[in-house]
Amino acid sequence: MATYNKITPEIAAQLKAVVGERRFSCGADVDPNYSHDEMPIYGNHFPEVAVDVETTEEVSRIMKICNDNRIPVTCRGAGTGLVGGCVPLAGGVVLCTRRMNRILHYDMDNLVVRIQPGVLLKDLAADALAHGLMYPPDPGEKTATVGGNISTNAGGMRAVKYGVTRDYVLALTVVLADGRIIELGKTVCKTSSGYSLLHLMIGSEGTLGIITEMTMKLIPNPICDVSCLVPFPDVDSCISFVPKIKLANLDPQSIEFMDADIVVSSSAFTGIPTFPERVKDADVGASLLVTFVGADEDELDQKLIKLGKIAEEAGALDVLVVATSSNKKAAWAARSSFLTAIEADTRLLDEMDVVVPVDKIPAFLLYIRSLGQEEGIVIRNFGHAGDGNLHIYCCSNDLELDEFKRRTKIIMDKAYAKCAELEGQVSGEHAIGHAKMGYLHESVGDDVFALMDDIKRVFDPNYILNPGKVCDASLVG
Amino acid sequence: MLKILVCVKQIPDVDLVKMDPETGNLVRAGVPTLTNPLDLNALEAAVQVKERYGGEITLITMGPPMAESTLRECLAVGGDEAILITGRPFGGADTLSTSYTIVKAADMKGKFDLIFCGKETLDGATGQMASQLAERFDASQISFCYSIDDISDGKIRATRALETGKEIVEATLPCLLTVEKDNFYGRLPNLKAYLDSKTREITTYTENDIDGLDLNLIGVPGSGTIVPKIYPPELPEPGQIIHTGSPRSDAGRLIEILAEKGSI
Repeated sequence: MATYNKITPEIAAQLKAVVGERRFSCGADVDPNYSHDEMPIYGNHFPEVAVDVETTEEVSRIMKICNDNRIPVTCRGAGTGLVGGCVPLAGGVVLCTRRMNRILHYDMDNLVVRIQPGVLLKDLAADALAHGLMYPPDPGEKTATVGGNISTNAGGMRAVKYGVTRDYVLALTVVLADGRIIELGKTVCKTSSGYSLLHLMIGSEGTLGIITEMTMKLIPNPICDVSCLVPFPDVDSCISFVPKIKLANLDPQSIEFMDADIVVSSSAFTGIPTFPERVKDADVGASLLVTFVGADEDELDQKLIKLGKIAEEAGALDVLVVATSSNKKAAWAARSSFLTAIEADTRLLDEMDVVVPVDKIPAFLLYIRSLGQEEGIVIRNFGHAGDGNLHIYCCSNDLELDEFKRRTKIIMDKAYAKCAELEGQVSGEHAIGHAKMGYLHESVGDDVFALMDDIKRVFDPNYILNPGKVCDASLVG
Repeated sequence: MLKILVCVKQIPDVDLVKMDPETGNLVRAGVPTLTNPLDLNALEAAVQVKERYGGEITLITMGPPMAESTLRECLAVGGDEAILITGRPFGGADTLSTSYTIVKAADMKGKFDLIFCGKETLDGATGQMASQLAERFDASQISFCYSIDDISDGKIRATRALETGKEIVEATLPCLLTVEKDNFYGRLPNLKAYLDSKTREITTYTENDIDGLDLNLIGVPGSGTIVPKIYPPELPEPGQIIHTGSPRSDAGRLIEILAEKGSI
């Protein structure tokens, strides 16, 4: 088990000397937000010191000081995670990259952009668009940093067509635990050049190194897009439609799933009934929001016609078109409000982000709902139907915290076991942090978990990088 | 069967319109357009009436040829026929000449029982059109309509949403209504209606097609107002957010800034 030292006044002075007084804080002066992410149920853990870094060199110097003194370092972006990934469990230093928010350079010949890790997803997306380009990964949390997205291998709504963050990272500058600066990857389309440490770094949640610059792949912005809402009487028929869309060769950009509960809750929260609860005198049990992109309107119309035909055959209540800019804005604002809507009317909240084979979604949802009923916990869910990634929230407004945690643990234990039985994975895009480490261990087994830990040791022999996360079980218990 | 007229307008996306600081003109070129959102609430009210009492909805708009897309959007969600009034002589119209033109064009299709309008447009925001139209159509008017409760025997009963509460009113037809959005959020078109709307015929009127149109009462000559200049409001200097990482250093930075400005 790793042992850590406290930050002495001398070490604090060294750290302060690296970033200067304004970007250094310690003790009671540390921003309280640095003690948690967006899932308060996992508790608060304060760092002893926080530094807002601006350059790779500063990160390198901080890491060297911390490694020499065995001080834990937890890297943090915008703090929008949901599994406690940026929470400093062992105290030490929080190294915040939010000031490293510059978009450095576009290479329009190779369609790449070089950026710093603190650039927000929404800013990269907007800036790329201004260059006529698209940054395809589109996680729901637009105020996350791209560095955080890489660290969790975030996915998002457009993963069905374009893949996930991993697919858009070409190169990284990384500071290792001892302060060495390394370059991983190149601006090339393919590589067959040894172990891919680049891809090992992606999704490693700040446990193997600190990402300080990255080269991201972009694509030409699609010219036209259209979405449609396909309501079904029940979840089963709704999900059964997903593979049919793919088999029809319609190549959707996204296929989002929403059940009746989340639609009602989103309408109540936004005050706008964007998605209908009844269609053609029938209650809507669940809907898909499907988006297509194309070169012109005719191409999209052909896709819509084909979609309409297979939707009718599949028992859809209707196909509603989201084509105007106002309707698109409203539909995606409503879709993006789902988590906020849940948070707004829920006092106690815990979540899981499982990913299961698409055809197993109904079985999993049915199971998790029955668990919720058994334990008296409200289950809310939505997700990316096209790739089987479900965001499931356990909610309560009535229970005491300890009782909520007890019941939620029962649900989570059984649900992750069910997920494993259905050949699913613990996390589709929110990652492991410390909240899901036990479930990861169960899911991958002892051998693989130990291999992960071995890899961690190679990169970070003193275990100072983000202690207690992913596969570092030394702080558990 | 009720004859229903819905007045709609295509507007630039007001979030994206910029002003040319040299000329003071609004730069609309290249700015995406949209259908005035409040007109879509009016259309939804009309569609609900049609579903409940039967009827036929005629859409009408005045604008450049590209305003046709707004009519097609409205056809897709319940409009039965559409009229586009277009031509250079109509350009520069204020609400006075616009309301005159709309009424003359609508008269070509006979008398309407109900006329629905957005309570204002997001680009002009005068809110004058509805009352002018009601006057010119010789129709009664119900504004701030929260719900339509009954239509029978040549009368309409509706609930108005006022700041002080609700008011139930009754009016004789023809009647012009402007609606609150609460019960009249626009609906999404279904696929068939959406695709059909792309090929539906749209009646286009130029200044030569409208019976009895007095050219002195349309466009700029018919306008009672002119807009000599548009300028943006003077904005106060934006505030500065100090976020250095800790309350103590935030306070330090604040003191520095105040000292630099000579305030302390």
